[in-house]
Amino acid sequence: MSRRSRAAVARSTASDRTLVLLSGLVLLAVGVLVVLLGQGVFGTYRAQRPLIDPEITGWISANATAARWIAIGVGVVLLVLGLIWALRSLRPEPRPDVLLSDVPGARLSVEHSAIADAVRADAETITGVSRARVRLVGDERRPAMRLVLWLVEDADVRDVWAEVDGRVLARARSAFGVDAIPTAVRIELDAAASKAPRVL
Amino acid sequence: MRFLLRLLSPLLGLVVAAVGVLLLLEVITAWVAPASSPLVVPWPSWRSALTEATWSSGTVRTIAIVVAVVGFLVVLVALVARRHDVRLTDPVPEVTVTTSPRSLARAVGHEVRSQADVVSASVVASSNKVVVKAGTLDEPDVVRQAIRERVDALFTRLPLARRPRVSISVAATKGVK
Repeated sequence: MSRRSRAAVARSTASDRTLVLLSGLVLLAVGVLVVLLGQGVFGTYRAQRPLIDPEITGWISANATAARWIAIGVGVVLLVLGLIWALRSLRPEPRPDVLLSDVPGARLSVEHSAIADAVRADAETITGVSRARVRLVGDERRPAMRLVLWLVEDADVRDVWAEVDGRVLARARSAFGVDAIPTAVRIELDAAASKAPRVL
Repeated sequence: MRFLLRLLSPLLGLVVAAVGVLLLLEVITAWVAPASSPLVVPWPSWRSALTEATWSSGTVRTIAIVVAVVGFLVVLVALVARRHDVRLTDPVPEVTVTTSPRSLARAVGHEVRSQADVVSASVVASSNKVVVKAGTLDEPDVVRQAIRERVDALFTRLPLARRPRVSISVAATKGVK
């Protein structure tokens, strides 16, 4: 297993998880701190003060322009960060074409769908494979392949592997002229049976 | 849980962006055209409420507890939303092979049900544990042994990276054989 083939197993949710975890921690911390503040942990006198402290209102009315610019700045930052966050998380996983030659004037790249269809058609001829789905992930220069294979009942996984590596991936490798293509293979065992309900 | 995370993440992003927009809108309206302020958010009434409420008041505490609980749930979603793939051994270094827990359970389930004296079976599988519950009209202990042998044989055929622990319970079902 290589790092790149492992990364190709599924789309990474690392950034989504980090952001969601951070916002959860912020909410949790704010809630707990306010409860503690109200209990008088940070001083009994402080617990009796209003939420909008007279000191703050005093500062705002003394520096009205500065307060407005700060509020506008915070608003812009929240808007931009929130939009980047939402767009990044909604953006579909890219399907890269494969760049075979980057020489100026002789740039050659193979379209994603051409490769995916060819490898899929190849994979579906393997004995024991009822259906296959293929896509490329990563970027143009360092693509990796994701293969989903639905196996029929009683298919021998080792035989399927041997054919995947020996025939399907070997052909893809020679077509691209590379030694290795990082590949994640996802296998659905006994999948054919789920389509036809078993009646005894 | 991954689905929930994929839903929650852009939503939280949109919430942050919306807060930014509302803040900009209200601040600029209050500055440029004070007559039409507040525009969307009734912030003057919020402000008077917040000036009166103290940190120790019951409402503030209730809201703080709700916020903390929501935060805890969001943290939980982020921590639980990981993949539960079952790894198979890699045929060559550049290839990673996985299957889903559901697919593993399906394979084990077919194997168990193909045993003639099993009348019903349910299987729950993960990468380190497989739980089989079966019903039979015969002697449960004998059937249990037979199922164990079958599942062991399946795991010998299936090149799993890590052999899961297998727990099998067989109950006698009433009925005519």
